Amino acid sequence: MNAIQIRNVTKRYKNITALDHVSFSFEHGRIYGFLGRNGAGKSTLINIIANRIFSDEGEVLIDGIPAKENMGVHEKVFCMSETDLYDTGLKIKEHFKWMKRFYDSFDMEKALEIAGKFQLDTEKRFGALSKGYQTIFKLTAALALNVPYVIFDEPVLGLDANHRELFYALLLKDYEEKERTIIIATHLIEEVANLIEDVVLIDRGKVILQESVENLLAAGYCVSGMAQEVDRYCKGKNVIGQDELGGLKLVYVLGEKTQIPAGSGLQMTAMNLQKLFVKLTEKGES
Amino acid sequence: MKKLRIVIQYECVTSFKYIWLFYAIEYAIVLLIAVVVALCTGAMEHVGSNCLEINTMIYAAVLGVLGFHEDFKMLIQNGFTRRYIYLATLSMFAFISGIMALVDTVMGNGLHYFLNGYSSMYGAIYGYYHFFANWLWLFLLYMLVCSLLYLVGLAVNRYGKRILLYSGAALLGLVLIVMAMFRYILPGEIARSVLNFLAGAMGFMSDGTKHLGLPLLTLFLIAALLELGAYAVIRRTELR
Repeated sequence: MNAIQIRNVTKRYKNITALDHVSFSFEHGRIYGFLGRNGAGKSTLINIIANRIFSDEGEVLIDGIPAKENMGVHEKVFCMSETDLYDTGLKIKEHFKWMKRFYDSFDMEKALEIAGKFQLDTEKRFGALSKGYQTIFKLTAALALNVPYVIFDEPVLGLDANHRELFYALLLKDYEEKERTIIIATHLIEEVANLIEDVVLIDRGKVILQESVENLLAAGYCVSGMAQEVDRYCKGKNVIGQDELGGLKLVYVLGEKTQIPAGSGLQMTAMNLQKLFVKLTEKGES
Repeated sequence: MKKLRIVIQYECVTSFKYIWLFYAIEYAIVLLIAVVVALCTGAMEHVGSNCLEINTMIYAAVLGVLGFHEDFKMLIQNGFTRRYIYLATLSMFAFISGIMALVDTVMGNGLHYFLNGYSSMYGAIYGYYHFFANWLWLFLLYMLVCSLLYLVGLAVNRYGKRILLYSGAALLGLVLIVMAMFRYILPGEIARSVLNFLAGAMGFMSDGTKHLGLPLLTLFLIAALLELGAYAVIRRTELR
């Protein structure tokens, strides 16, 4: 099967259960938004997929091959992480040189081209780069690697708006040229909303939602008006959040839309991905 | 196997250049001291830099610690398994220890030959001009130091500093208890047998002769034990 399959993965840290029997798949050839609040378990799961930490229970399979301590998945998955794990003493061009040797699928020409677009000085040592340029180097490395699954954990940390836009453009271009699975774990939901095709939402160690962005946006909506009217309309619906101001009420609904009753004074508006994320994770809290 | 070869090359190549930097600094300092002492005393007899191998041992210790901290992170980022990382690190320790042991053997015997007052570590213990035994002894000694510090680095990462400090204190206590046992509890005959055994393990035989092979075997066994321990820990090591 062409996918990253997460099967019943559990990870505990002393008294905290970071991941609680998580099971789902990242299918091949799609762009995923892997979303969740701080401490939800995103990085823990990414680190398990990338064999950086071990799960206490369950397993991760990449194209059917167990990911744990297995060189068989070396050319299949790459994880660009927020943490700086690279040798600070090596120059950027040396890093590229070694990556070319480590991975059969590393495209040196593409790496240099991307580095040029970002004006990344390849003569500089990794440790001498600013935080933003260290991120750019990590992005460049990930984009120049033609593996079927690429994971970006907080990819635009420390980047200015221009560089973020450039990264998103390069990512899309890369995806158009060669279809592969791209997983983006980020807090900047609105920035990636137009980029991602599917959303996996994780909260307190559990996957609470996996859906295509299209379906989610079609299913999520806001209804506002007088509180009594809103309550009457929402009866039996999946209300994921609400705000009140005086006698006015705004509710966030996930599910099938029904016609607004004529003369009720209610208004129906679309809900964006970020609001949906906030309300879903707030709902879990309450 | 191709990937294993490449990762071993990475470890060796990226560590190789620092050896020469280390030696350049070491011998520049030795030379400076020699010049200052010679200028002050007007003679070379009092120039007293002996056992320069101790500096290499310190370098090997640093290499052992960095072997975990820097290289583990870099290689796990690049998708290598712990088994590959361990084999590459072990190969790098052997490569660097081999080269440094060679340099120190040549320099130790050379300096002793030209400046009679200089004593190398091996020469002072076992005598001079046993080139191969000298090289192998230093190689195993440096491997042992690298392995010990590598194991300590891995253990600190896995179990935390506090547990390691407690273990160190417990080990110190054990050493003191053993010493007290030798002095006050164990019968003289047994204590003498144990000491003779330990001396024999380091090549000092009870008849007063020196056996050059036994210390090599002892160092090899200790280094192998430490490396086995390191492998047992790294197999379960997680990135923090």
